[in-house]
Amino acid sequence: MKKIFLLLLLSLSLQANSAHLKPYSGSIKNPTISLKDLKGETHTLAQYQGKVVLVQFWATYCPPCVKEMPSMNNMQDKLAKAGVPFKILAIDMAETKAEVEAFVKRIKPEFTILMDETGSSIGQWNVFAAPSNFIINKQGQIAYTLFGGVEWDSQEIIDKITELSKQ
Amino acid sequence: MFIKNILLIISLILTGITSAKEIRGIELPSGEEVEIRVFPAKGNILIIGFACDNGKSKHEEATSESLAEDGIEVWMPDMLGTYMLPKSRSSYNEIPNEDLTHIIYEAISTNKEVYIVASGPDTQLLLKTAAHWKKEYPGYKDLKGAILLFPRLNDGAPEPGVEPKYVESVGSTTIPLMVLEGGRTPNRWGLNHLSAKLASGGSRVISKIVPDIRGYFFNRADPNKTEDIVTSQLSGLIKVSLFYLQESSK
Repeated sequence: MKKIFLLLLLSLSLQANSAHLKPYSGSIKNPTISLKDLKGETHTLAQYQGKVVLVQFWATYCPPCVKEMPSMNNMQDKLAKAGVPFKILAIDMAETKAEVEAFVKRIKPEFTILMDETGSSIGQWNVFAAPSNFIINKQGQIAYTLFGGVEWDSQEIIDKITELSKQ
Repeated sequence: MFIKNILLIISLILTGITSAKEIRGIELPSGEEVEIRVFPAKGNILIIGFACDNGKSKHEEATSESLAEDGIEVWMPDMLGTYMLPKSRSSYNEIPNEDLTHIIYEAISTNKEVYIVASGPDTQLLLKTAAHWKKEYPGYKDLKGAILLFPRLNDGAPEPGVEPKYVESVGSTTIPLMVLEGGRTPNRWGLNHLSAKLASGGSRVISKIVPDIRGYFFNRADPNKTEDIVTSQLSGLIKVSLFYLQESSK
């Protein structure tokens, strides 16, 4: 009886922590990005058509953003090993290059960090909180959104992205 | 031992000088009695600070003392403690509107110019109070304005790519509003949107970003240099806000 109760409790707590990618119902029809990474190279969303893209708006002062970065590294690894065409574009919300560089040295994200020092894309994407996540399908449209920190390497998310890459 | 005693006496004397706080009880229409921390002052401005913290916030008390020293009277009613309510958003709806407006009535009866101030989610209570004051006391003097420090007025979790939804009290008042937001918080990106929604009720809204500070900076265990300065100068921030509100009324 005790074991059943513990299993029930465990399953409930896992459910509470599980990711919930929500099908996008907003009004952004043709999302665009044209931002530089930390090396000065420009990335556009259009150049990643044919891949599923996670566009994340984040900031160094946002604790859930920092906490989930290792799981984003893992997710990228898992999907690459499975041969899923996938890219992460993590857009820093209007901080300085020096701040972000110091952060990258410490936390070591292994995905592309883009700088939006003026905040231009933040308004365009209707982002009012961090972390704000958008999953873009291979055709360049927003398929899912997710607000808040999450374990990105969970099987649920990996499965959803794998499934999306086949569409 | 002798020096220790002297230091103790000095500290007691200093405490007595700086803490001008009085506790005043006001009987409310619901039959409850609200305990108000009053920082009396002789000037013609009275601020009601809706600090829903059951009297725990040390920075708000220090700020009130500083304002009182500059002639601005401060009242801090213990709204949650009065009804034994927990600190949660749903608690704000449990507070009877007539009780809230009665406190405003008592404040306006002093013939001072009355402003209301709140921070974070407590700003929901502030807006609700302002809206009901006008409805329940239509022939009376209105509140002069409200200061919303780092407001958190979203109704539910924000949804990426979708315009935010706010609690019902947003856009329900006509009094002038001053909104301050931290520069290092994602909420700064929603400030224009929130200001427009607040103004939709008829309020003149002034919004400013305080650079380099995070949300709830005054309660953080790891404040940066700017946050330390702003925390110690919260009274200055409120006085600047009062200035903007007064200028906007001219």
